[in-house]
Amino acid sequence: MKNLNSLLAGIFLAVAFPFGALVVSSQVQLGSLGPAPAEEGGPLFPSREPGLAIQGRAVYVSLGCVSCHTQQVRPAGQGSDIARGYGVRASVARDYVLQKPVLLGERRIGPDLANYGARTKDLAVVHTAIKHGGQFTFLYTGAKQEVASERAVALAAYLQSLRQDYSSPEAKLKK
Amino acid sequence: MTQENRSGRPQGRPPEGDSRLTRTESQLRGPFLLFFISSVIWLLAASVLGVIAALQQGSLAGGPFRDCEILTYGHVAAAQHNLFVYGWGFNAFFALNLWLLSQLGRFELRNGWLATLGGVFWNLALTYGVVLIFAGNQTGFALLEFPREVGPVLAVAFLLAGFWPIVAFARRPTGHTFASQWFVVAASFAFPLTYLLAQLLILWQPASGVVQAIAHSWFVSNLLHLWFGASALAAIYYFLPKVLGRTISAYYLAPVAFWSFVLFAGWTGPAALIGAPVPLWLQSVGVVAGAMLIIPVIITAINFHGTLSSEGGWSRAWNDTTLRFVTFGAVAFTVFGVLNAIFSFRGYNAVTRFTSFAAGQEQLLTYAFATMVLFGAAYFVLPRLTGSLWPSAKLVHVHFWSTALGAVASIVALLVGGWENGKQLADASVSFQQIAKSTTSWNTVLTVSAVLLLVGHIAFALNAFGMILKSSAPASAGRHD
Ligand code: HEC
Repeated sequence: MKNLNSLLAGIFLAVAFPFGALVVSSQVQLGSLGPAPAEEGGPLFPSREPGLAIQGRAVYVSLGCVSCHTQQVRPAGQGSDIARGYGVRASVARDYVLQKPVLLGERRIGPDLANYGARTKDLAVVHTAIKHGGQFTFLYTGAKQEVASERAVALAAYLQSLRQDYSSPEAKLKK
Repeated sequence: MTQENRSGRPQGRPPEGDSRLTRTESQLRGPFLLFFISSVIWLLAASVLGVIAALQQGSLAGGPFRDCEILTYGHVAAAQHNLFVYGWGFNAFFALNLWLLSQLGRFELRNGWLATLGGVFWNLALTYGVVLIFAGNQTGFALLEFPREVGPVLAVAFLLAGFWPIVAFARRPTGHTFASQWFVVAASFAFPLTYLLAQLLILWQPASGVVQAIAHSWFVSNLLHLWFGASALAAIYYFLPKVLGRTISAYYLAPVAFWSFVLFAGWTGPAALIGAPVPLWLQSVGVVAGAMLIIPVIITAINFHGTLSSEGGWSRAWNDTTLRFVTFGAVAFTVFGVLNAIFSFRGYNAVTRFTSFAAGQEQLLTYAFATMVLFGAAYFVLPRLTGSLWPSAKLVHVHFWSTALGAVASIVALLVGGWENGKQLADASVSFQQIAKSTTSWNTVLTVSAVLLLVGHIAFALNAFGMILKSSAPASAGRHD
C-alpha cells in the first residue's frame, strides 16, 4: 500500500471489474433484444410507440413523474404486484427495448404505471389522474381546468400507451 | 498533545501537527475556503428544498405549491438531491480530502489556482444544471438528472478540484502511509472513472433498454460508497486517534477493511434492482456483495469503537465538539452496514422495495454518517485555517442537537415508515388510498425533521461564516513564509 501505482491499480480494478461483469456483460446478454413475436409468425411486441406518446414520455421525464411512479411488475411471490392488478405477468427485459430513457423507477408513492394503458381506457379518467387533485393542473386551462394543453394531451397518450399485457418469448401468457 | 510521538510514531496514529498555521495549510487556505463556503451555501439551499419537498410529499395535491410548475415535486426532489450530493457532499469533501492529504503528506499546494478554477467550474456547472431541472430539463436518472452537456464540465472540474489528494499522495516525503490516505486516494480516483463511464452508457451512448438501469444502479452505489463512504471513513481514521491522542485499536486490520470495502462496494449496485426485469444472477451478485460488505463494517467497528472504548474515550468524545460529530458518524456507519447486509436479502427486500426504506438507508449513509463527520471535521480544521475561534458556543449546541435529532427522526421515519408501508403494499387487499392515509403521520415527522435540519444548518452557517469574516483580515495569526 506504500506504492501509489499498486494502490491505483487495485482501485482501478475494483471499479472496472464490476463494470465489465455487471454492465458490459448485460449489454452483451441483452443488447441484441428487439421486438419479437411470441409465436412463429405472430405480431411483434413491444410495438412501436406512436409519436405523440414519445412526446408524452418527454413530458413525463421533465416533470419528474418517475420520482413517485415505477413502471415494473415484479414476479408473483415478490410483493403483490400482480395481485394488485399492476400487470398480468412480470415485466421482462424485452418490454423496455424501445424505451428511451427506461423509466423503471425506484419509489411507489403512487401506483405502478407499467400497464396503466391496459387498465385505463377512458381518457377522462386519465386526465383526472394526471391532475392529482391540483399538483398538475398547470397542464390544463379553462375555468375549471377542463381544457388539456398540448403537453397534457401528449402525456395522456403516453400513459395510455403503457402496456405489457402481450405474450413475449420470455413471458408467455396462458390462453 | 504529547511530544514523544514526534519520532518513532506508532502506526495507527496520524502525525502530530504544529498548532500554528503551517506553510502547507496557508497555501491550502484559498481553495479550501472556496470549497467550504460553496458547500455550506448549497447545503442551505438543499435544506430549504428539503422542507418544500417534504411538504409536497405529504399532500398529493401538491401542498402549498399546488399548481406551481417550477416547484412541482419532481423538480424540487431532484434539485434537492443533486444539491445535497454534488453541492454539499462534493465541495465539502474536496476541501476536507485535500486538507487531510496535505497534512498527512506534508504537501505544498503550489498550483492552488488550478484547484480554485476547478471549484469555480464545478459550482457554475452545478448551478446551470439545477436551473435546467427547475426549467423542466432533466434526464430521469437519479443523480444523473442534469442534461448530458453538464456531465463533461463536471468531470473536468472534478479533475481540477478533486485530483490533488492523489498528487499529494504521490509526492509525500515518507514511505509510511496511513489508512486515511488510502481511502481518500480511492475516492478521488474511483469517482471520476465511475462518473465518466456512467455518463457514456446512460446519457451519451445509451445502452439498450434495462441495461441503462443496470449501469445506473452501479453508478449510484459507487457514488455513495466510494465517494461519500470512503471519504468519510478516511476522516474518521484521522480524527479519532488525532483528537483522542491514541492509536487506532487493531489498526493492523485497517488494510483488510480498506480492500474489502473497495472491492465489494462496486458489486452492490444491482441489489437496488431486486425483482426488476434484469437477469437474476445480477440481482444475486448485488445481494451477496451487500452481505460481504459486512466485513469492512465489522473491521471499522472494531477500529473505531475499540479506540473509543478504552480509557473513557466515549466521554471524551462527547465533550469534544469535533469528536462528538465524528463519533456520531462512526456509529451511523456501523448501523448502516448492518442494516444494509440484512435488508439486501430477497425476503426483506420484497417488503421494503419501492418504499422510503432505500431513501432511509441513503440518508443514514450520506447524512448521519458522512455529513456528521464533515461537520466534526469543520470544527477542527476551520479554526486552524482562519486563525480564529468559533464565535458562538450556543450555535454549536443548536447545530449538534438539531442535526442529530433531525437525522435520527428522518431516518426512523423513512425506515420504519417504509417498512410499514411495504407491509401494506404487500397485502393486495389494502387499497392505495388507505396506504396513503396511513403514511401521513410519517410525512409529518419528515417535515418536522426537515425543518430541524434546516435550523441546524443555519446555525452552522452563521457560526462558520462569522468566523471566516472575522479572520478575513490578511494578518491572520501564525502565518509564516
Ligand atoms: C408526489 C408524488 C407523485 C408525483 C410527482 C406524481 N404522482 Fe401520479 N400519483 C401519485 C399518487 C399518490 C397517486 C395515487 C392517487 C390515488 O389513487 O388517489 C397517483 C396516481 C397516478 C395515476 C393513476 C394511477 C392509477 O392506477 O389509477 C396516474 C396515471 C399518475 N399518477 C400519473 C402521474 C404522472 C403522469 C405524473 C407526472 C406528471 C405523476 N403521476 C406524478 C403520486 C405522484
